[in-house]
Formats: sequence, C-alpha cells, structure tokens
Amino acid sequence: MFKWLSKYFASPAKLREAGIMGMNNRNFKIISKFNRRRLFPLVDDKVQTKNLAQKFGITTPRLIGKIEFQHEAANFENIIKGWNSFVIKPAHGSGGKGVLVITAHDETGFTTPSGRRLAYKDIYQHISNTLSGLYSLGGQYDTAVIEEMVNFSHIFDDYSYQGIPDVRLIVYKGYPVMAMTRLATAASGGRANLHQGAVGVGLDIKTGKTLKAVMRNKPITHHPDTGADLSKIEVPFWREHLLIGAKAYEMTGLGYLGADIVLDANKGPMMLELNARPGLAVQIANGLGLYKVLKRVDKYYPKKLSPEERVDFILNGRKK
Amino acid sequence: MLYRLKRLVTIRFILTIFLLISLGYAGYSMYYKINYWGFSLAPKTRANVWTVEADVSFEADGNPIKISLATPKSSNEYKVLDQDIVAPGYQSSLEDGRLILTSAPREGIQNVYYRILLFDNEGAKGKVEAPTPPAPEAPFFDEKQKAVADEILFLAQKQPGDLPQQIIRLFNQIPPEPTVVAFMPLKKTPKATAEIISSLLAYKKVPSRLARGIKLAENKQSFEPDLMLEAYIDGRWKLYDLSTGQIGLPKDFIIIQRGGNSLLDLEGGSGSVVKFSVLKSVTTSFSLAGKRAKLANEKDVFDSSIYNLPVDQQNSLKWLMIFPLAILIIAVIRNFIGLSTMGTFTPMLLAMALVKTGLIPGIICFAIIMTVGLLIRALFTRLNLLLVPRISAVVICVILIIQFMTVFGYRFSSSIGSSAAFFPIIIMAWIIERASITWEEEGAFNSCRQIIFSVIAALATYAVICNETIRYIMFAFNELNLVILFLVMLLGTYTGYRLTELKRFRPLVK
Repeated sequence: MFKWLSKYFASPAKLREAGIMGMNNRNFKIISKFNRRRLFPLVDDKVQTKNLAQKFGITTPRLIGKIEFQHEAANFENIIKGWNSFVIKPAHGSGGKGVLVITAHDETGFTTPSGRRLAYKDIYQHISNTLSGLYSLGGQYDTAVIEEMVNFSHIFDDYSYQGIPDVRLIVYKGYPVMAMTRLATAASGGRANLHQGAVGVGLDIKTGKTLKAVMRNKPITHHPDTGADLSKIEVPFWREHLLIGAKAYEMTGLGYLGADIVLDANKGPMMLELNARPGLAVQIANGLGLYKVLKRVDKYYPKKLSPEERVDFILNGRKK
Repeated sequence: MLYRLKRLVTIRFILTIFLLISLGYAGYSMYYKINYWGFSLAPKTRANVWTVEADVSFEADGNPIKISLATPKSSNEYKVLDQDIVAPGYQSSLEDGRLILTSAPREGIQNVYYRILLFDNEGAKGKVEAPTPPAPEAPFFDEKQKAVADEILFLAQKQPGDLPQQIIRLFNQIPPEPTVVAFMPLKKTPKATAEIISSLLAYKKVPSRLARGIKLAENKQSFEPDLMLEAYIDGRWKLYDLSTGQIGLPKDFIIIQRGGNSLLDLEGGSGSVVKFSVLKSVTTSFSLAGKRAKLANEKDVFDSSIYNLPVDQQNSLKWLMIFPLAILIIAVIRNFIGLSTMGTFTPMLLAMALVKTGLIPGIICFAIIMTVGLLIRALFTRLNLLLVPRISAVVICVILIIQFMTVFGYRFSSSIGSSAAFFPIIIMAWIIERASITWEEEGAFNSCRQIIFSVIAALATYAVICNETIRYIMFAFNELNLVILFLVMLLGTYTGYRLTELKRFRPLVK
C-alpha cells in the first residue's frame, strides 16, 4: 500500500526539500506579494503590453490595427490594406485561444497556415466572436487585435509537429530564472500544452541549451513525431531572449512574470505576450524546483541592477 | 525576507486567534442554547411539556402557618420551565429546593396550589454519577430481628438481580414467605415497605434513600406521589421500582424529593393532603425556546434571533445556513485537494440540487440534461452565434428539457423526471456551454474529466450536507458559521502542496 502510494505520489517533505513550488505557495507567497493587482491589466491587455513594450525598447510583433466595436469590423479590409499576412488575436485572450493566423489573402478569401481557405464572412464572424468575449479571460467584451505575422526562424522546424514553439521565461525580480520551450505533438493535437501531451524542454538559463525533455511527465530524448534529437536544441540569441525577460520587469513592475518569446528570422527575439500568473509546468520541464531558485534570488542576487547587468549576472554567474 | 516571514506568521496568528475566539463563542453559545433554550443536538421538532400541579389542602388550627413542600429540581432529564404559586395571602420563598409558604394564623380549610412547567429533555436521560455517600448507620436490631434479617437476606439470594432487587422481589413474592411477613410492619404501606427494605440494606452497609416522584402520565390525578427506592450500588445511585424491582428511572417519571425529608411539612394545621395532577402538552422545540429564554431573562436576545421568525422564513434561512459548510468543502476540495472543477461554486449548487432530488434520481437526471444539452449545443456550434445570444439559447433549451422531463416525470410518476425542476437552470446552461467549449478546444477527454471532477466535488459536498442532523445543527447553532468563516480564511493562508500536486510533481523527486 505504502509502496503503491510512493510510486504515484511524492511526499510533501521530499517536494519541499527539492524546492518545488506548489500552486498555493505560488499564489500566496509569490503572486499576492510581488504582483500588485493594478498591474495585471498591463499584461492582460495585449494592446497595452505592446505600447509599453515599445517605450522600453522591447521588440513585439507590430500592431496593424484594433477593432473595439462591432461597427468597426466593417472597416477590417481597410485596416489590413497593404498587409498580406497578419494575425487576429483577442486582446484579453490566454493560452492561444482565439488566435487566427492568415498567411495570404486575395479577393476570393483568406488562407491559414494549414492551407484552409476562409471566406470574408468567416473572418468577420471570428472578429464578432472575439468582441463578444468568447475568447477573453472572464468572458467580458474584448478587443480584436490585428498584428503582423512573425516571420518565424526555421531553427525550430524539426522540433515541432505543428505551430511554432516559443520560449517561456520565468522572471523573478527582474532575473530570468528558468526557461523552457513547449513543442506541440500529434498527441497534443498541435497544441503546446504540457498536460495535453506536448513536449516540454527545459532550457539552461545560462546557455539556452536543452537541460531535459519530458512528455506526459516522462523523460524523452527524441520528438515523437519528427524524431528530432531534443538534446541538441540551442536557442540562438539567448542573451537577447533573457534581456527581453529582464526588461519586462521594469516595464510592468511585476515581481513574478512569465514572458513568451518567439524568434523572428529577421528581427530576432520578439516578445509575444506576458503572463502575470505563469504556471508551474516549467518545473517539470526543467526537473527542478522553482521555489529553491527564487529563494536563492532573494538571498544572493544583487538588487538595483539594470536589466543588462542582471542578464550578465545570470550569464556569468556570481562574478563581480 | 524576515519581515515577510513575520507578516505571514502574523496573518496566520491573528486568524488563528479569531478562530479560537469564534470556537469559544460557538461553544459557549451551544452550551447556552442547549441549557437555557432547550435546543438539542439532534433534530427533534417536537418536545413534551408537562404541567404538574400540586394541590395542598389542610385544615388550619389558628396558629401561624408554615408550609414546606418539596419541589422538583431541574435535572438533566427534566428542566423546570416555569413555576407559579396560587396561595393568596401567603408569603412564598424557595429554600433548598423546598417551597416555603408562611402566613398569619388562619381558620378553616386551606387550599394552595403549586404549578410547574417541565420540559422533557429526552436526549439526556441516564444514570448520574454521584459522590460516595458515607456508609449508613447500622440499624438497631435485637437478637431476634437479626436472626430474621439474616434469614431474609439468605432467602433473598435465591432471587435474581443485585441485592436491592433480590430483597424487593422477595418482599413482593406471592404468597409471601412467612419470615418476610414476620418482619413486615402491621400496616403494609409502600412507605413502610420501603423503609424496611432500606434498613435491611443498611444492615448490609448499602446506602439507600427514598425517592418520591410523579409518574408523568396524561391527565393523571393522584393523592399520593409514587415512591421509589434509591440505593448506592457500584458507585452510583440507582433507582428501584418497589413493586417490580426494576432498575432505573421509569419513562416519564420526575423525582420531586429525595432522602428522608418529608414531602410536606406543615405547622399550624392538620389533615394535610397533597394531590398531584399532570397534564401533558406537545410543542415545537423552537417555540419552547422562547419560553425558556424568558425564564432565563434573555427574552430580548431570543426575540432578535432567527428562531423567532415566522416558520417559512426560518425554513429558507435553514437552507441558507448550510451554505457556509458547503463552501468550506469546496474550498478544501480546490485548495487542499486541488481538484479543478467547472466554475468555483458549481459543484456546491449541484449538491444543493441533489439534496432536494435525492441522489440517484438527481444524478440520472443531471446526466440526461447534460447529454441532451450538449447535443443541442453541438448543433449551435455550427451556427456560429454570438456569445450572449448563444448562451441565452442554451438557457432556453435547458428550460425546455427541464419542462419536458417534469411533465414526463408526472405522466409516468418517475422521480427522475420530476426532480429535473430542482436543478439551477443558469448553472446547468453554463456547465453545458463550458463543457462544449472545452470539448472543442481540449478534446472530449478533458471535457469529460472536468465534468466528472465537478460531479465528484458535488458528491463530496452532497455527502456532508445531505445529513439531516448536520443541517439541523448548522441552523440551530448558527454561530458555527463564524467558525467556518475563519477556517476558510485560514485555508487562504495554506501554502502547502495540494494533494494532486503530490502526483503531478512526483517525477521531480527520486
């Protein structure tokens, strides 16, 4: 009985020893202390995030336009004039819900990355749904954001079954402390959610190289669909990735945040969105306890450094 | 960091203090309500109230009158609710559980009445522990009496039961033993018999005393209180019926007076007779509470409590009072166990519905509404409706399903169908809507898992709140809700792992 228990369950003492952060701990000790409520709209609203990012010198996909009210939806074709590809997103969406990517369009209709053709009325319907709050966090009325499509770098092509992986950084008091990338699989239905069967790859925060790869809580070495060797991942422009995460702290004032960063072939790393309540799956992907790391930051990491200095501190260790 | 640690400790500390205060308050209040308002711990809507009237009549002889009448004391079994005295011109006082009436010299037949209202505290009947009384003085027997007593005690051994029972049974034997007859006084009254038995017990060093009481029976009139014998056996006083030897307080028996003191002492009169009459009435225990509160000079407190409200309002409050407990369970399920359900309080509302419908019909009915609702919702998906009109349409469909099931249930007298009306319509519609969206976005597996988790949470809540006693206690002792409030707040400072996280993070430890 006890053996059976310990096969499927970890003892709380062991989890604590490993410095694993639980949900209650995250909410009570970290988020409620370091993330003030009034700062949340800065990251929950993608339009605000974009505007702020611009001020702080963080690259984001360019804003083409936004549609706030139903009657503006008629204006949609004017907004996208001159843009062949673009993305329609809900301003208050989360987890990639309601994101519609258009790679090309002409008089007869629109094309999605999978090659599906959509008519104008389908796009109009999608915008209507977005405005009525179908994809927003609390179901409240929302704004549809139209932004430029990221010209994704091809280095991840072999590693993902569908969609483009992004890098998730956990930033604590301005220090990027943990990183992972999530790779969609056939089992996850092309989605990047770990609990749906996507592969989580923990990345070494100093180098951007693979630490560990897991799928459904079990270590794996190769991508189940593409067969790519997961241990070979090395994210280029790693310092720039970290710098975006570090700057996001000054930009939002959030002590604990998640930054989703994609790599554009021409413009380098770009911040896709920020999250004021990043999940705990990053621990599973890294095989490491987050709480332990955060305590180390509290104790040893210098305060009052600029974002660049913090990134250097992370990259070079504790050298002065 | 130290400061933060301090802050955490302080919040918890303060909440713990408040929890303890609320516990203390609830404890005191429960004690108070049980003892002064007569609330019981088990749901009991009706309580017996006995009116016992003692009519003392005597002929005054022209001297100053002093009447001393034994009165029943409140015990665990019976609580004195009210008492009143009808004795014009007499001055009354209570001393040592005896009613004292005094008056200037009078002539002729006198009648005084003493009436008490007794509340039958059925839950608390039992034998009472008592301190050891001193060993009784050995009765004075001469040689001949001693020999007879020894023989009686020897004969008594053949009777079943313990010593007092053996003696009582021997004395009640028909035809009586010649030895017993020799020992008996000439006039065989219950009192004389009891005294003889008592002296025999004293001979064997067993303390005993007489107890006078009244058998509470409806519309009973009697001139003589019933007599019983109490003996101190095995560390407690036990009551013995003098005619059968049966142990224990008979049902509906109230003891007025114990020990050797007389029932009535009278100075300044003769030919006294005490006549008892008993009247039983039934009343609800909450309405009785008002009377008892008045007795305890707490009428104002009672008047502003919920038990003074009209019954229908009490009933809806009764329903409301169970919510905090259900909320506590949901908080535990989510923050301690870590089950993710559809909507925070959805399982609670489902559990509430299940209480009204009954478990099995409720679950089946829920499954039917969900299935039909999801099928209809799947049709809506193709129509690409806007959010608010779509959810409105789902609400209307749920109403139609419920209506159909209710009619079906009536037509075929099926409890499954007729229980449909108890499900909260809007909540059902939202479950269907969410389940359908989860289904599209995260697959049927995740959608079903969420529904099942919600049902599990609802069942756990149901298991607690379906209990009639728990519902009664939460209503009768509503200050417990204060305890729950602080428990929930304390749970808000729980930073340990959730049960599901022990499984989720299992791969992270060796």
